[in-house]
Formats: sequence, C-alpha cells, structure tokens
Amino acid sequence: MMIKVENLKKSFGANEVLKDINLEVQKQEVVVVIGPSGSGKSTLLRCINQLEDITSGHVYIEGTDIADKKANINKIRQDVGMVFQQFNLFPHMTVLDNILLAPTKVKKISREEARVKAMELLGKVGLEEKADAYPDSLSGGQKQRIAIARALAMEPKMMLFDEPTSALDPEMVGEVLDVMKQLARDGMTMVVVTHEMGFAREVGDRVIFMDGGYIVEENEPRQLFEYPQEERTKAFLSKVL
Amino acid sequence: MGVNPLDLIREYLPFFASGTLFTIGFSLAGIVFGTILGLLVCFGKMLRNKVLSAPFVCYITFFRGTPLFVQILIIHFGVVPAVFHQSNGIISGIIALSLNEAAYIAEVFRAGIQSIDEGQTEAARSLGMDRVQAMRYVILPQAVRRVLPPMGNEFISLIKDSSLLAAIAAPELTYWAQAMGAQYAIVWTPYLTISFIYLILTLGMSAIVNRLERRMATK
Ligand SMILES: Nc1ncnc2c1ncn2[C@@H]1O[C@H](COP(=O)(O)OP(=O)(O)OP(=O)(O)O)[C@@H](O)[C@H]1O
Ligand SMILES: [Mg+2]
Repeated sequence: MMIKVENLKKSFGANEVLKDINLEVQKQEVVVVIGPSGSGKSTLLRCINQLEDITSGHVYIEGTDIADKKANINKIRQDVGMVFQQFNLFPHMTVLDNILLAPTKVKKISREEARVKAMELLGKVGLEEKADAYPDSLSGGQKQRIAIARALAMEPKMMLFDEPTSALDPEMVGEVLDVMKQLARDGMTMVVVTHEMGFAREVGDRVIFMDGGYIVEENEPRQLFEYPQEERTKAFLSKVL
Repeated sequence: MGVNPLDLIREYLPFFASGTLFTIGFSLAGIVFGTILGLLVCFGKMLRNKVLSAPFVCYITFFRGTPLFVQILIIHFGVVPAVFHQSNGIISGIIALSLNEAAYIAEVFRAGIQSIDEGQTEAARSLGMDRVQAMRYVILPQAVRRVLPPMGNEFISLIKDSSLLAAIAAPELTYWAQAMGAQYAIVWTPYLTISFIYLILTLGMSAIVNRLERRMATK
C-alpha cells in the first residue's frame, strides 16, 4: 500500500473542507480525482504530503503515519513528488539548477552525478535544449514538463498532480498529458486531480468523484463515466463530459 | 570677517578628512552589524511561536517608534557607561546605529520574504527540503533581489543619520563642522562643506546599490 487515508478530516477555522475521507492507493495505481471547484481535491492532495496539517484521522505513506511526531516528514516527502497547477519553478535558477537543487542539497548527491540524471530526465520530457534557460523564458507547457522532471529527480515512489494542465493554453495541454501518460505506463504510482476526462479514461485505474468534502463515488473510469450511481456524480458529469 | 573660506577649509581639511572616514566607518558598521542583526531579528519575528517572537516584535517596535536621537542619548549616557564603566562616543555610535538599523532592516527583509509566493516554499518542501533549506536556497535568494532597493534607501538614511552622533562627540563630519563653526563663529562654510561631502557619500551609495541591482538582474 503506497497511500492510505483513514477518516481524514480537515478544517480551515470553522470551515470543514474534508469530512471523513478514506482512500487507498496501491503501488503502480493511477487514481484520478475529479469534482467541482471547492470540493476539497487540492486540500486532499496537500494533506497527503502534509503541506496542510490534518485536523483528524490518519495519512499513511508506505505504512508510516505522517502526522506521527516521530515520522521524518522531510524524508517522507522525498518519496512523494508533487506537481502544482502554477508550476512553482524557482525563477532565480536555470532549468538544470531547478532540477539539481533537491538531489544535491537534500540527498547530497554529487553535482556531476545529479547532472547526468537531470539531463536524462530532461530528455524524457523532451526539453534537453532548455537546460540552461531560465523558467521565465519557457512556455507554460514547458514549465510544467520541467516541474515534472524536477519532482522525478528525487526518484519519488509516487506522484501527486494538482490540476497540472489547468493553467495551460489549450494547445499545450497535450504535451504535459503525454509526459504523464508515459509516467503512468512506466509504472509510477499517481494521484491526479484533473478536469481532463480523456486522460482519466485512458490511464486512470480508478476515478474518484469528490463533492462537498466527501468522496461521493469511486469506480474504474469506464464504469464511473458510463454508469454513475450517485445523483451528484451524474449532475457533475453531465456538465463536464 | 575678511577670512578666506578656502583658507579655513584648508586648515580644517585633516579634520574633515578624518571626519569623513569616521562617517563612512559608522555607516559601514551600521550597515554590516545592522544587516546581520536585522536578519536575525527578522527570523525571530517570523517565529510561529508567539511567545518566542514577542521580544523581537518589541525590539522592532521600540527602535522604529522612538527617535534615533533619543536612542543615541540613552545608549551613550545610560547603556554604555553601565556596561563598560566609561563612555565612548565611537562605541556608543556604532551600537546605536547598528541597533536602530537592524530594526528597519528586519522589516525590509520580512516584507521581502513575505512577498515571495507561498508556492515557492511549498515546491521546495514537497521536494524534501526542510524549512531552513527552503529558506536558504529558494526564498532568500529571491528576497535579496527584492529588498535591494529598499535596503539601499535604508543605507542612505543611515549615512545621513550618523550626523546625529555629533551630539555625543563622536568625531564624524558634523562634529568637526560644529567645531569649526564654533571656533570661527561661522555657519555657511563648515555646513556647506560637509553637506557637499554627505552628498558625495549618499550619491556614491546610490551608485553602488544601482550597480548591484543591475548585476543581480542580469544573472
Ligand atoms: N488555506 C486555506 N484557508 C482557508 N480555506 C481554504 C484554504 N485552502 C482551501 N480552503 C477552502 O477549502 C475549500 C476546498 O478547497 P480546495 O482548494 O481543496 O478545493 P478544490 O476541490 O481543489 O477546488 P478547485 O477545483 O477550485 O481547485 C474551499 O472552500 C476553499 O475556500
Ligand atoms: Mg484545487
């Protein structure tokens, strides 16, 4: 079991955003999370790597309770890559340095060794020639592919994607999804929040529909899209499909 | 009357020269110690624990909320004699300017750090960096660029404010101008002379900061 979420609740002040979430993600599984705006999708992802403190319940990463005081969250996060809607590349560094920073400073890998690996990853996302460019000079799609490469440089065991294509111009969505599809084919464990239903169908092993802080329904993509059981799922799908 | 101002200036030249060096020295000391201390105070104020951050908040409030002149007097006639059992205008001057500058630098830095998008910290943390690493490698390098212009303004103020140290007989520029004015009962010559020197110092500081800014921008 890579990720296990148990009775997770999360409140911001009096506003309970996650209301008893239970979720398990197996090794090499691709779980797609869909749902209306404000349903708590981002918050769920952010609780999984403790960018948000959870209010109650448990999140286990490979069996380790991440809220446990003894758990080393920095160590755990190395295994949980995250890709953000807004890319969050480091603008003061070249693409290569963006990718090298964490492996060299956190894992203390030599720059030379990390560099070889980084160039390999840049090749994988098709951006070798951008190694010495600064993020500001890249298109949105290129930025997001670099952000994926940067996360992969830590050799994570699982990846969280929070609407990785939502900030992109439509013509750039495909290039990012292609990288993610390849990643899924290579066996990466992934949790992906997205509005790209085509992606969900193609590579998702399971789709989770969230609404109002609950997981309302989950199923394999074809089942969920063709035969939604819950009214709220039907209403949502009729709007997005 | 009838004395040639240029002759007077020539007579006082060694004093203005050493006064200039002292003014530069006080300013440099204030900049260096003020920046180091200011960074510490800034991190102190940003501590999440309210009890731990309270002393730093008080520090900033006091030094920004009271006149520098009053701080200089308190330090020179109160603090320094109590600690060193003697008064010394140079030591008092360095301490007063550094402590005061630190409070302003702390606020400049805090504003700079907080102006960096939250997503930068989150990206760094999600890669496994701890709080210190994220601050050091991701936030501070970006914040430094942003605080350079306001820091430059603080440094320029500091050069000008160091003139207040004349009141505690620290032998900087204004002190010697006052001495010259008193000796010959004149006003224009000494004060216009040091005004000119201050201008050179502040314009020089602007130029240095501008160059630094440009160098950082192209990197
Ligand atoms: N840091 C925060 N402080 C207070 N409220 C928050 C915070 N983050 C999220 N919320 C609230 O939590 C609720 C769920 O937000 P969340 O971002 O998880 O939704 P989402 O499903 O990701 O929506 P979207 O599709 O718009 O990204 C929203 O009502 C939001 O206003
Ligand atoms: Mg969201």
